[in-house]
Amino acid sequence: MTIEMETRAEQTENGWLDQDGFEGPFRPGNGPRSDPKGKFPTGPSVGEHMPDVRCIDADGEAFDLHADRGDSPAIFLFFRSAVW
Amino acid sequence: MQELADAGARVYALSYDEADALKDFQQAYGTTYKLLSDPDSMVIRHFGLLNTLIAEDDHPWFGIPYPGTYVLDAEGVITHKFFENNLAVRVGPEQLVRAVCGESISVEAIEQVAPTEANARVYLDGDNLPACVQRDLVADLTVPPGRHVYASPAPEGTVAVTLELDANPRIVKRELIRPPSEPHSLGASGEEFQVHHDRVRLRLPVTINGGLTVDNDSPAVTLSGILKWQTCDDEVCDIPASERFELSIPVEGPIMPSFMGPDDQDSPEPNAGKHFQRMIERRQG
Repeated sequence: MTIEMETRAEQTENGWLDQDGFEGPFRPGNGPRSDPKGKFPTGPSVGEHMPDVRCIDADGEAFDLHADRGDSPAIFLFFRSAVW
Repeated sequence: MQELADAGARVYALSYDEADALKDFQQAYGTTYKLLSDPDSMVIRHFGLLNTLIAEDDHPWFGIPYPGTYVLDAEGVITHKFFENNLAVRVGPEQLVRAVCGESISVEAIEQVAPTEANARVYLDGDNLPACVQRDLVADLTVPPGRHVYASPAPEGTVAVTLELDANPRIVKRELIRPPSEPHSLGASGEEFQVHHDRVRLRLPVTINGGLTVDNDSPAVTLSGILKWQTCDDEVCDIPASERFELSIPVEGPIMPSFMGPDDQDSPEPNAGKHFQRMIERRQG
């Protein structure tokens, strides 16, 4: 899959306006504002079993998604950062 | 949210932040969902979500995922996915509740005022529109017994049920979500078309336009448009019907700070400057 960068933007007093009209300090197509244009990878599909996730939690403890959730339904978010 | 807890759903959120940065965030905001740390983006890569539009030496941005959300059932099967091209649009809590709990939680009976006519109702699934948070404009249509409305695409000369929003620069809308339809064949010709019976719910995801939310003179946004449909039975089609709607929805200011950077004063994260600097240094090796 070739992934294209969304770079359409308009400069404003406060930063940059993207093609949807959202304004931010970074110009679209740069750093944290590197959004894809058109199709982009979204990982496993609906209907597939969620791959296991093994990493650490905020306490530094080992984490295993399916072991932790047991037989509960779950919402799993991939987000960019809690720092910026 | 209470509805998610009632459904027994667990909530997890993973980022490329260090564990102690997540801990600071958790303590500052009293979050109860589990925050997960993937500082080398191993999980992010394993899922194929690494944002490869960012150069590997562009620190500290390299390593972030294309953000998105999966909803899993009790067996661990993915039932819904929410991914957006624009980082300024995030899945709303109501949308997640509907995905986890199914539609039934929000189903309210529509009073059938005239048993032979369809009844329509359009409303926002949520109380307001804050910046960046997506919510659904919902259209419910009740189709009388023995009748159907056409799904999209409708046969030539008939009208498919659809929800259209008037142009509004303050609203960013996404593609209309239609319910599954059923095949229906016409007795005379045997032609088959897709239709809906009973109760039809259309969802149009909308987000308030981030750059235009700070408008003190206009703290509400008007969502207006039209719901169109055509009811038929096996022999006769009614003339196409429509109902206009106009909703005044309160707008909330940006819930995220407009500044994205390492300055503690403007950042959502305590010790952001320290964490941000460390992210860069660690990646520069």
